[in-house]
Amino acid sequence: MRSVAVALAVARKDLASEWRTRELVPALAQFVVLALVIANFGFEVDSRTSAAIAPGVLWMTLVFAGLVAFGRAFAAEREQASLEAMLLTPASPAAIFAGKALAAALMLALCEAVLLPALGLFFGVSLTLEVVTAVLLATVGMAVLGCLFAAMVARIRARELLLPLLTLPLWIPFIVVGGQAVQVAMGAGGGSRAGSATGLLLDLDILFVVLTSLTARFVLED
Amino acid sequence: MSRYEKGAIAAVVLMLVAAGFIFIYAPEDALQGAPQRIFYLHVSSAIAAYGCFAVVLLGGIVYLWKENVTADRLARAGALVGVVFTTVTLVMGMIWAKPIWGTFWTWDARLTSTLVLWIIYAGYLMVRRLAEPGRQAARFAAVVGIFGFIDVPVVHFSVTWWRTVHPGPIVINDALPPQMLVAFFVTMASTLFLAAVLIAIRYRIEVLTDEAAERVVTAPIAAASKAGSAR
Repeated sequence: MRSVAVALAVARKDLASEWRTRELVPALAQFVVLALVIANFGFEVDSRTSAAIAPGVLWMTLVFAGLVAFGRAFAAEREQASLEAMLLTPASPAAIFAGKALAAALMLALCEAVLLPALGLFFGVSLTLEVVTAVLLATVGMAVLGCLFAAMVARIRARELLLPLLTLPLWIPFIVVGGQAVQVAMGAGGGSRAGSATGLLLDLDILFVVLTSLTARFVLED
Repeated sequence: MSRYEKGAIAAVVLMLVAAGFIFIYAPEDALQGAPQRIFYLHVSSAIAAYGCFAVVLLGGIVYLWKENVTADRLARAGALVGVVFTTVTLVMGMIWAKPIWGTFWTWDARLTSTLVLWIIYAGYLMVRRLAEPGRQAARFAAVVGIFGFIDVPVVHFSVTWWRTVHPGPIVINDALPPQMLVAFFVTMASTLFLAAVLIAIRYRIEVLTDEAAERVVTAPIAAASKAGSAR
């Protein structure tokens, strides 16, 4: 119970500091719209091709927005050495980590609230419940993994280089399963397993939440 | 002659014996012809790579649990050797695929997951290099090794989980004629022995590197205290 309170307090702190500075979310929102513009030029989108291209653009944009968001999650802590102070309190490192991941996931979800309507508008695809569910479920797993490796690279050299290198390969399961679900929902073909995708994404979320909560201590405490 | 030299010579001899089984003893495949002979080393090095990454996983868990330096050095050695064997698997597979499939590469589930495996452990080696040597590098790498191992069962079961063009399991399904089976097991045993020798040699290098790094710190202190006692 105490751990939940700690996690919520840390998440509230991160969200409050984001609310005061308003740095990350507006920048990310701009970034995702820009990514759609670039995709338009890269793929020569028209009304016939947009449904086939939109799922790919969605996940590419989400992945790179996620890298930026989670990379920033520990940047402020590193600059002010405030993580060490938090770790000196009796709060468990796993609870502190859960709070950081929760806040980062919420910020990425805010950016998705811009990305998905923009995608629907510019690419003319329908945003069904399946699309939103798949994206949100993938966000949970991507956030725990992304924050774990962001906490790690915050302490080592060449962190901007290393974060995508470590995170992207482990995000692939979410992109495979979520990507397929979105393709089916947007009518781009690719099988008919939209129902099982939700279950599979949940399984992946549980697997990675459990693994990160077991290993977060070793990454944060060093 | 040191233990390592003996081991290395034995590994080379065994690999030559395996080559004899592959090229002389095993019959030529009726459909694929000569390229089929790639199968023996391709599958063996994939299994050796799995084994190496299992060493990385277990070494990482033991290190996080007991802070045991030996476990960490074993994990370090296993990761490097595992990346080498994954490279061999990928390259030999591509050489086989060109005449059989008509292309070096296709985005098949097993090929893709094996490439991801290579990238994950290349990332592991990067973490080792960039993190502060010692406790930090060992801990961070152990975490990467634990998460990275998730991809090993994905690679292994990819041919049954997804529809792929990669050939499915044929050894355990008893689909090989006996001579091919003998050649395969000889190659697999030799390759696993080679992997073990490589890990042992790499482990020795890691020990020496650690000792050298330690000496950089301790040597000036020892020299200073010697000078102090002489005075």
